[in-house]
Amino acid sequence: MWTPQVELRGAKLVLRSSLYPWVGRAALSPPAHEMLSRAAWSLVLRRGPGIRGKHSPGGAADGQGKMPPYTNYYAQRSYPMPDEPFCTELSAEQRALKEKEKGSWTQLSHAEKVALYRIRFHETFAEMNRRSQEWKTVMGCVFFFIGTTALLIWWQRVYVFPQKPITLTDEWKARQLQRILDMKGNPVQGLASRWDYERKEWKK
Amino acid sequence: MPYPHQLGFQDATSPIMEELLYFHDHTLMIVFLISSLVLYTISTMLSTKLTHTNTMNAQEIEMVWTILPAMILILIALPSLRILYMIDEINDPSLTVKTLGHQWYWSYEYTDYEELCFDSYMVPSTDLKPGELRLLEVDNRVVLPMKTPVRMLISSEDVLHSWAVPSLGLKTDAVPGRLNQTTLMSSRPGLFYGQCSEICGSNHSFMPIVIEMVPLKTFESWSSLMT
Repeated sequence: MWTPQVELRGAKLVLRSSLYPWVGRAALSPPAHEMLSRAAWSLVLRRGPGIRGKHSPGGAADGQGKMPPYTNYYAQRSYPMPDEPFCTELSAEQRALKEKEKGSWTQLSHAEKVALYRIRFHETFAEMNRRSQEWKTVMGCVFFFIGTTALLIWWQRVYVFPQKPITLTDEWKARQLQRILDMKGNPVQGLASRWDYERKEWKK
Repeated sequence: MPYPHQLGFQDATSPIMEELLYFHDHTLMIVFLISSLVLYTISTMLSTKLTHTNTMNAQEIEMVWTILPAMILILIALPSLRILYMIDEINDPSLTVKTLGHQWYWSYEYTDYEELCFDSYMVPSTDLKPGELRLLEVDNRVVLPMKTPVRMLISSEDVLHSWAVPSLGLKTDAVPGRLNQTTLMSSRPGLFYGQCSEICGSNHSFMPIVIEMVPLKTFESWSSLMT
């Protein structure tokens, strides 16, 4: 049976691209229904922490630092300056740049400034706040469950519910309404107040 | 009585219920105002482009959102207490009726002048006359004179019940071994329906109360007919 092969890439679970390794990359693609179910499954799996992200990126209780490549770095629009820098292990080149940063910043070229930014922060504001396609998955699942519920309810109505009582037939309801109007039930703001007793019709 | 597609309360039959309707309008307006403010605040918070959302010092707004709710609560409490005391005002009832809850029917006793006691069972759905209300009609209604204060003494013979008539603004628990009193005063004639309002067993939903308010002459002829 085909099981989804997932791997950890960054902070997201990603479906491994090659699913028929014994066939080889140049092989024929899998049949259409397989593709469809795989696409649907991968959408649900791939969500992970995703764009919506965590709620508490700068937790003070996170005393334990994690080993690279996993860190406590997480930046959001509402928490744009995380405590730790993005890159903690710097190459020799990056360390030299950090030394240069200690001097006057007018000495730095534009490319160096960008490099320093990328060491300190993972993404720019524009990249960090980018939209995603997640809403489509969410709406799809919502509609799916609404549809399933609707089917269940319809089946229940047909096969489970007992007969309606006699008082819900149109004839009974009409007689009931006449009786309520005759005894002037709720004459102030309710039903009888909307009936015109002289002209014997509903008030306009 | 309730009517189809009803949204709000039934129309008031007694002055107390009128007061309760006004109070409900007042309180609901406050609730709508607060809810719309909260909804607006949430939507603004979700759609903001601002980045610094961790406030450090908020002394002024903390004062505002402590004092203002306190004032709103006082604004709700004052009319509420006014009606509470209005219900307990000393009046001079012309008639006393005792009602006892049983499993699963009500019994009524008019013992001021003659001994008049009867049981009031729900009419089963199969025995309803065309046009009658299902689960609300009873065989013997509580007939009372309109526009006169009536003292109701409510108790129970077995388990807890509750004698409730929404259009008169009445709901009083029927406690075994205890006598609870409430005052009834209807401004207009007609039929007023209610249901048992305290869980009392399997037929708790099937022991309704129907009050028939009639002119005094009609009441007198009815009571002489019944005794």
